[in-house]
Amino acid sequence: MKYELVSGFETHVELATATKIFCGCTTAFGGAPNTHCCPICTGQPGTLPVLNKKVVEFAIRAGLALHCTINTTTHLDRKNYCYPDLPKAYQISQFDKPLCEHGYVELESGKRIRILRIHIEEDAGKLVHEKGTSYIDYNRGGVPLIEIVSEPDISSTDEAREYVEKLQLTMRYIGVSDCKMQEGSMRCDVNISLKERGSQVLGTRTEIKNMNSISHIEKAMEYEARRQAEILDDGGEVEQATMRFDENSGETYVMRTKEDAQDYRYFPEPDLLEVAIPQKKVDEIAASLPELPLEKYKRYTTELGINAANAKLLYKYKAVCDFFEECLRLGAGVKNTANLILGTVYSTLNTEEEKELFNIRVTPEDMAGLVKLADGGKINITLAQMTLAKMLESGKPFTEYIKEEDLAGVSDDELTELCRQAIEANPKAVEDYKNGKEKAISGLYGYIKRATQGKADIRKADAIIKELIK
Amino acid sequence: MSVTDKQLKQFARLARLDFPDEEIEAFKGEFEEMIAFWDSINSAVEGDAASIREVGARQIPLNGLREDEVASSLPNEKILSNVNGENGYFTVKRVVK
Repeated sequence: MKYELVSGFETHVELATATKIFCGCTTAFGGAPNTHCCPICTGQPGTLPVLNKKVVEFAIRAGLALHCTINTTTHLDRKNYCYPDLPKAYQISQFDKPLCEHGYVELESGKRIRILRIHIEEDAGKLVHEKGTSYIDYNRGGVPLIEIVSEPDISSTDEAREYVEKLQLTMRYIGVSDCKMQEGSMRCDVNISLKERGSQVLGTRTEIKNMNSISHIEKAMEYEARRQAEILDDGGEVEQATMRFDENSGETYVMRTKEDAQDYRYFPEPDLLEVAIPQKKVDEIAASLPELPLEKYKRYTTELGINAANAKLLYKYKAVCDFFEECLRLGAGVKNTANLILGTVYSTLNTEEEKELFNIRVTPEDMAGLVKLADGGKINITLAQMTLAKMLESGKPFTEYIKEEDLAGVSDDELTELCRQAIEANPKAVEDYKNGKEKAISGLYGYIKRATQGKADIRKADAIIKELIK
Repeated sequence: MSVTDKQLKQFARLARLDFPDEEIEAFKGEFEEMIAFWDSINSAVEGDAASIREVGARQIPLNGLREDEVASSLPNEKILSNVNGENGYFTVKRVVK
């Protein structure tokens, strides 16, 4: 392709506060329509907004985790537009003095996607259109949001995916949002333009609004880049426009062009005071931040010596990391713990959501106890896997399945004798193996596993069998 | 400041006002008077809007903000008591095509 993709993201993230940004109504998702509402969040005349302290604290937390500078004074502004999802006919947002500025998201490659700003604002209500009527639910109206605005540093759909995933992960690690795109607690507006390869001149951009899944983002970006390339190839000009992505057709279409772009007539919100943020408070929040995703990934791959592929499967889920690290703290070895989680535990967690929640029936104590037996060679990994599978199923501790007498394992002499028996009992498999069918030998493993109830070290048995039938 | 027809139509559109063409000329005069009124406020302030903002007395410390504690919301009937509503929703004439 002779063009390079240039893309920037505006990402809305709902903050996990208990109450709305300007009133005490709950932010709980769902609920019967207009039951999480009061005179303030429905914009009744004469009401005044009262800013929620935690919104500011969470936004600072998010800003620090994304390496932003935190402004020590900040104010809110009115963004005026007429649409029924907004009962006041304006949204309280931030315009010229956002809370956080100039940060970045670092990708695994080391490339940084710069963050221009992060500001706080209120969410709008939800509209449902049916026949001649639009139905409005203001439960979501007034739920606190941060808008994270990136610089146009994203140059591929892969980078876009990683950027969104990193944001999601970071917000979850620091506990400010669950970032559930399917529930709308994270949504992206994607700006896209093309430039000639190597050129410094940016093309005209279009903006795709309100994307709520990563795979849709990728599809929309690919479609839009292709559409723009075709226009440019034909010698045409891309028109600046706001677009929507149609999930069903996989196409983008124009919502409005520059001509009818909104004029928001921002001005400072007169109903709220400017907020003074002591540097001491910012320092306190900075000190309370946990290890961030990329730091964790780097520590897992260097200090703990986990390979990159496995480290990626672990650090994507905060709850998994917490469990894993607790096992290590209790003395379990890195390798066996990681392998048992990624193999046996993950095989019972089918969806991303299940892995995120990591609601399993085994405690870190029990897991560590089991792993330590494997670490010490008292049981082999096969038995550890089988036992863990039973523990996950029943919620019972490992001591329920592994008895004292199991812990001795199988002695070398016993194993050699068993291998002899296995060879005698399976003449056909031995014959096939000798004739070059390498895999035939695995038939003998089953015999040994049954005879020892999984206690025998199969790798050892394999070596003994091959020696005996040589 | 004089106002062009185009600007006036743009303002009207943003305010969701429908102006028949024959009323535009008459309103233009009134509108210019309003703008002049704002001009005199601005000149009375002697400076730009930013300088008004810098008055430090209008700050609130972070600790003075509201604690994040849930208060009860209003019952749905009450919320909808002064508006057009249906099945718990506010209703308006359909806003999208």
